Amino acid sequence: MKTKVQHRVVGAVLATSVAVATTAMMLAAPAWAHHSFAAYNMEVTKVFTGVVTRVNPDANHLQIFFAPMNEERKNVIRGEDGKPIIWAVEMAGSAQAAKEGISVNTFPPGTIFSMALHPLRDGRPAGTRGREGVIFKCPGRKPPAPGKHCDSVEGHTQYGTGSLPPEKKE
Amino acid sequence: MDLASIVDSIYASGAAEWMRTSVKAMPIVEAIHVMAAATVFGTVLVVDLRLLGFPSTQRPFTRVSGELLKWTWAAFVVAVITGGLMFAANAPTYYVNTAFRLKMLALLGAGLNMAVFHTITCRTIRAWDQGVPAPLAGRIAGAASILIWVTLIFLARWIGFTKGYNFDVPQDVNLDFTF
Repeated sequence: MKTKVQHRVVGAVLATSVAVATTAMMLAAPAWAHHSFAAYNMEVTKVFTGVVTRVNPDANHLQIFFAPMNEERKNVIRGEDGKPIIWAVEMAGSAQAAKEGISVNTFPPGTIFSMALHPLRDGRPAGTRGREGVIFKCPGRKPPAPGKHCDSVEGHTQYGTGSLPPEKKE
Repeated sequence: MDLASIVDSIYASGAAEWMRTSVKAMPIVEAIHVMAAATVFGTVLVVDLRLLGFPSTQRPFTRVSGELLKWTWAAFVVAVITGGLMFAANAPTYYVNTAFRLKMLALLGAGLNMAVFHTITCRTIRAWDQGVPAPLAGRIAGAASILIWVTLIFLARWIGFTKGYNFDVPQDVNLDFTF
């Protein structure tokens, strides 16, 4: 009998703990919880207009992989081997990005978009959008005019506030 | 339908979309997954240690396993459901992740080890249930189980740190265009 009572007490304690923890998580305001930007050179800003190749909706950091377009905005840039050069821009987790409207559904392959990023320090072709970097998506498959970005195309969609920053070298 | 197509279907499901777009879903599901995994490992470990004779062989093996393995199975079901939801959220990325594949292989190994133990080694359970060491096959099964589950836990944590950057362009994406 005592054992049954003990089991019930342990069960009640466990159930209460789970309920309290779950409630706390439900009530917690979603916060920008990036661990650190130390991996990125925040002093450098690169501005791209590119074509989405893939979105990785990672729970911690959503990544958009894209092929940067040339200045004429006619093709994607290719390396010496003829293969497209691919970059990635990272941002908040997939759920927070979805709240902004950025997801695998709204950025399917082929989407043309413009954004600024701070590149990785290790030289790999990827960077962070930063805290609130603005992103502009071109309407349909309509690229901007030569040298321009999606914010100049009529009917563009904007994610975030402000305007694209100027390029900044170290 | 090949495996890649099945993965794509899972990725396109409503549950996957919910996991990707809900700020609360992933942390809650992940927390439950961790608790379930801890219960699975904790209960399995006690049974495995009993097979190895720790802390003693006085408590009947059938009693130890009978009391604990029902919790193992209940927690395993919870772990599979929550793990499935986490997988669905980003299925194509997990599918090609080496650590994830090795984890699934370890899970299969744990299942095979358990199946062999229960169907073959346990036939002689009356002879070693209490007071005597388990046969060599039983002790090997216990040691192998601990090794596999510890490996599996390391692989599970490894997944989160090996997703990295996959710059490969999917085959169905065409970049040979001119505007």
